[in-house]
This record gives sequence, C-alpha cells and structure tokens, in this order.
Amino acid sequence: MAAEDRIDGYASAILEFATAEDQLERVGDELFRIARAFESSTPLREALTDPRIPAERKKGVVSDLLGDKASPLTVSLVDFVVSAGRASDLPAIADRVTAQAASARNKAIAEVRTAVELDAATIARLTTALNKATGKDVEVKTVIDPTVIGGVVARIGDLIIDGTVSHRLEQLRETLNKR
Amino acid sequence: MNLFAPILLMAQVEGETTTTTEPDGIQLLLPASSELIAGLIAFTIIFVFVWKWVLPMVDKRLEARQQAIVGQLTAAEATKHEAEGVLADYKAQLAKARDDANSIVEEARRTADALRRETVSKASDEASEITRKAREEAAGERERAAGAIRDEVAALSMAVAEKAVAGAVDTKAHAKLVEQYIAELGALRP
Repeated sequence: MAAEDRIDGYASAILEFATAEDQLERVGDELFRIARAFESSTPLREALTDPRIPAERKKGVVSDLLGDKASPLTVSLVDFVVSAGRASDLPAIADRVTAQAASARNKAIAEVRTAVELDAATIARLTTALNKATGKDVEVKTVIDPTVIGGVVARIGDLIIDGTVSHRLEQLRETLNKR
Repeated sequence: MNLFAPILLMAQVEGETTTTTEPDGIQLLLPASSELIAGLIAFTIIFVFVWKWVLPMVDKRLEARQQAIVGQLTAAEATKHEAEGVLADYKAQLAKARDDANSIVEEARRTADALRRETVSKASDEASEITRKAREEAAGERERAAGAIRDEVAALSMAVAEKAVAGAVDTKAHAKLVEQYIAELGALRP
C-alpha cells in the first residue's frame, strides 16, 4: 500500500472514532499539537520511531507525555498509531485529520507559528485578516515556535504568508550571499 | 661442251693402238678400249646413280637442313622479339615501380607533413585548452574563495544579527510584529 493511502486510511479511521465520540474538534486540535511537538522534538521522535524500543515502552512514553494534557480518546488513538509502528506518519496523519475535520466544517486550516503565545483577541483578528487575505474561511491552529524569533508565519495548504523575523533575516542572508 | 669427247679421244687412241702390235709412247699410258668402255659404262652407271638418287637425297637433306636452320632462325627471331618484349615489359614495370615508389615516397612525405601539422596543431590546441582550463580553475578558485569569505562574513554577520534581534524582541516588540503582520494581511487580496 502506498504511503499516501496508508495515511488516508489511518486519518479516516481516527475521524470515524472522533466523530462517533463527538470529539472531532478536540481530537483534531490535540492531534495537531501532538504532531507539532513530534516534529520539533528529536528525542520524542526517536523514542517513538526507534524499532528497537518495544511497543509497551512507547505506549508508556505517550501516556507520560499526554496523560492529563489530552483526552483519553486522543491518547488511545496516538497509542494505536504508535503501536502499529507508524509513529513516523503521525504528523501527516494528524494534518490529514485536522484538514478533513476542518473541511467537514467548510473551513481551511491555517497553521500559524509565532515565537510567543497569542491571546484569543489577537487570534480572532488574525483569523479575520487571513479570511480576507485568502478568501477562505480559515481555522487558525497556533504553534509556538521560538525559531521564528518574532512575527507570524501562516500556512494555509500550499500558501505560506511569512512575516517572521527569521524569514527577514534569511532574506538578508541571501542578499549578502548574492553580493 | 661434249661430255664424251675424252672418251672418244681415248677410243680413237685405242683404235690407233690396235693397228700396231706393240704399244709405245703415249699408248703405254692409255687404257685399252675394253677397259675404257667398261669404265665408261661404270661411270655412266655411277653418274646415273648419283644423279638419280644421291643428288636428290643430298638435296633433300640440304633442304631439310635449310628448313631446320630457317626454322631455328625464325624461332631465334621470335625468341629475340619475345625477349625484347619481355625487356620492354620489364623496363615498363621498372619505370612504373619507380613511379610508384616515388608516389609512395611523396605520399608518405605529404602524410608525414600533414601528421606533423596536425600534431603541432593538436598540441597547440591542447596547450590552449589546458591554459584556458587552468585560468578558469584559477578564476573559479578565486571566486570560490571570495564566495567562502563572503559566506563566512555573512554567516558571522547573521549570527550576530540574530542574537542582537532575538535579544531585542521583547513582548512589546512581539505584539508590534504581530500587529504589523495583521496589517500587511489586510493589504493582500485573494
């Protein structure tokens, strides 16, 4: 089975469970955050994807990390993916679940990265501005990412609107390298 | 001339001698008529024999001999002509071989000249190519070194800038950057 088909299969199964439990929005949000944490933390990624580490120990890692921070359903679903040896697909599965859940609500996911956490009012104004800029009804998912230094970068599907300090520094670096 | 004159003379002398009983003088030297007739007959027989058989045989032999000599002369002439032909062929072949040899030598000289010119030209081209590549490599090395220095300077500058900027971005600056981003989004159109 191709990787894309496999990811779609897992995402569809998780969507079915979350919809059946009427926790689609919460599960989608938590999976999104778990996926970002998985991407940004190398030790966590290695612990969950290393084939030499037994599945039970991986489940223990998931329980320790998520325990009281996520719903039991989300923890169970992550356990299921990790136990199946597909932890490396977790970010893609989470993104697919989030996108499909948003799509079910006729929304597009806007992944917004900032160096500091945004308050609800700022997120609301940012959502309105992104709606106008993209012509879509977006659902903002925030990610705290210190590497952006300052500012905001939003990714809606293939569209990236980058207003971060790190992006401007990168542009400056490229300009210096061209000279 | 009468061929029988000597015989008649000897017969006449014989007749005259018969009138005498004792020969004397010249008659002592002349043969008797009977001997003369017998000799004449014998001579005639021999003459006829010689005339009839010996002479034709001799003529035939001489004719054969002559024919053989003529044949040999003809053969010798033909051989001579053939030898002259062979000699002419040989001379022609020799001349052709000489011409061929000259042509080969000339061709070899031309080929050697062409090869020499080609070798010189190729060596010159290779030398030019090596020089060009060396210059390009030197220029590339200079460019790479300059690029590496630029990159190093840029990296150091950026590292310093990142540290300086990261230290300068406080909560207020973060809020201002977010507000600026929202304002810039307002200028975008779908």
